[in-house]
Amino acid sequence: MSSREDRSANDPLDLKTPPGVPAQDPGEAEDAQAGGSGSAPAGRRRGRADADRRDQYLLRRYHLHGDRKARDELITMYLPLVRSLARRYASRGEQFDDLVQVGSIGLIKAIDRFDLSRGVELTTYATPNIVGEIKRYFRDKGWSVRVPRGLQELNIRLNKVIDELVPKLQRAPTINELAEAANATPEQVLEALETSQAYNSISLQASPDGQSGEEDAGLIDYLGGEEEAYDTMEDRTTLAGGFAKLDKRERYILHLRFFEGLTQSQIAERVGISQMHVSRLIRRSLEKLREEIGDLDNPLPPRSPDGER
Amino acid sequence: MTERITLEVPASLSALPTVRLVLGGLGARLDLSLDDVDDLFLATDRLLEAALGAEDLTDFRLVCLVDESSLRITAGGFRSQRLRDQVADTPGGCIDLCLLLRRLADEVVVEEDGDGFRVVIVKHRTKPAP
Repeated sequence: MSSREDRSANDPLDLKTPPGVPAQDPGEAEDAQAGGSGSAPAGRRRGRADADRRDQYLLRRYHLHGDRKARDELITMYLPLVRSLARRYASRGEQFDDLVQVGSIGLIKAIDRFDLSRGVELTTYATPNIVGEIKRYFRDKGWSVRVPRGLQELNIRLNKVIDELVPKLQRAPTINELAEAANATPEQVLEALETSQAYNSISLQASPDGQSGEEDAGLIDYLGGEEEAYDTMEDRTTLAGGFAKLDKRERYILHLRFFEGLTQSQIAERVGISQMHVSRLIRRSLEKLREEIGDLDNPLPPRSPDGER
Repeated sequence: MTERITLEVPASLSALPTVRLVLGGLGARLDLSLDDVDDLFLATDRLLEAALGAEDLTDFRLVCLVDESSLRITAGGFRSQRLRDQVADTPGGCIDLCLLLRRLADEVVVEEDGDGFRVVIVKHRTKPAP
């Protein structure tokens, strides 16, 4: 590292650092957060140092000179960090894109509030801001209507209890069994079940572990073995009445419930999601069907064997 | 012994949660499984929503009979031929009200009721395996 680089990196008023420093690798910011620089290879350390200098330069441009382009550039540079953090939470019931949007707000706040005199890296400051914004979003927006915290907690507890009881009992639990296992009254269980409809469903388009994989690789892709079921289904008359407008997962779940006769718990086990989630998906799919064709009870006529109506 | 519970609520979508809570309570007393209770909720919701779309109603009137082995829900006071057709038709190849009710309930019966008709939905308790 040259003496000039040393000076420019440490002097918050130095605005002469050339902006030709390589832009930060999208995945590197979080790597640096997780692993620290002590064990990083020399090349990576150098790249990180370049990126830090560039951050400092842009932050100074923005904070000391009001350069909005520098701010925009920082936002663009750190969007991969936002995506990386959002991916961790993508399997918890919200769309990945929504989480990226919310996380971006955290990033912008971090850039706007960054204190040049503190001498910390932008990634160090931005990461908790982004995560905090995502967590706040879950707390505030996960429920589409205001549900008391006690019922939210019971609802979450019930999800776990159902998952534990179904394999243990080899059947769906009763309300009383749920109440006993969740340390609640049957009335509270019913109320919590009622409020569960207010919670947004987990999207199977989300990454299954929320931490890795391609953005568009969702849980539905892990149901690959069931693809033949879709084909079989399409050979039948079930595509009538707007069925084709549902996505694969919705068609599959409705097919299992209404044509194969599986219970919600059995579907939950087969698809690998909770019974309460299956319940919400069935309702949502039926609602979509109704919106699509206007009235479930005035559907298009079933297809004839040769595919004509 | 059979218990009779009569429920009358305004004919609106906002009354459905109340109906569900009552049915859930009865289902709990009968020790119905969570799956069965949820099926009942969906069946009743769909029937009452269809009734709302088919005719002008002031109230939903439901009579629930609970005995040791089943829950029998009767929704009455309907007059719409359209609703009658929707419920009574043979299930088609798509998920219509007729098919939904028959998949979600153990029995679905349309009974004459003066000038109109009522729809009876029955759910039996399945004894848990020992």
